[in-house]
Amino acid sequence: MGKVKLKYFSRVREIIGKPSELIEVKSKNLQDLIEELQSMGEQYSVLKGEHFVVYSAVDQNMVTDFKASIEGATEIAFFPPMTGG
Amino acid sequence: MNCKIIVGVQKTDFDLNLEMEALKLKTKKAGAVVFFVGKVRDLEDDKLKYLEIESFEELAKRKIKDICDDAATTWDLEYILVKHRFGRLELNDNIVLVITSSKHRKNAYEASRYIMECLKSNVPFWKKEVANNTQNWVENS
Repeated sequence: MGKVKLKYFSRVREIIGKPSELIEVKSKNLQDLIEELQSMGEQYSVLKGEHFVVYSAVDQNMVTDFKASIEGATEIAFFPPMTGG
Repeated sequence: MNCKIIVGVQKTDFDLNLEMEALKLKTKKAGAVVFFVGKVRDLEDDKLKYLEIESFEELAKRKIKDICDDAATTWDLEYILVKHRFGRLELNDNIVLVITSSKHRKNAYEASRYIMECLKSNVPFWKKEVANNTQNWVENS
């Protein structure tokens, strides 16, 4: 699919250990991408959302369906529940 | 919808007096102005050193604009301003400013509350409370 900038925020950033990275993505949806990332290291299992909910934004659009296509995306962000205000 | 909307995601503080003067220049039909300011509060044990707010800046701006658009569609408003800070903030520092203005007070009050409730959980900001020996990401209450 090409190179995609992955961004991580808050607790997700801390667990993965970096704020962003540029990687060659083969997966066609978020669910597969998370599996793909896990093969790079156990820290990426946080993205499965088993310990806290993990949200995603593809090209700065919030995504609820992790099976939706990510083909053509240039930026994918992962983050925990938001706590603004 | 003739509501003027201003959105800021910023490190710097805001000045309430200046914002009030700016509002007066931009709308003359509003008789009610509601200011809401969220600020850094201490922990129960008085041990807060500082608050760190992380943001996904570009998306935060878009989400706040969407919330303001919703509010302007729902209530008859003349003016909305939302400025949300990020970075390291000390005790009592301002975090967020929401100004809503309308002809009469009801719309401004209701819109202000709506915008704040949305900011709490729909906009990509994350707060971390840093104390002497602990650091905790804030969870929604």
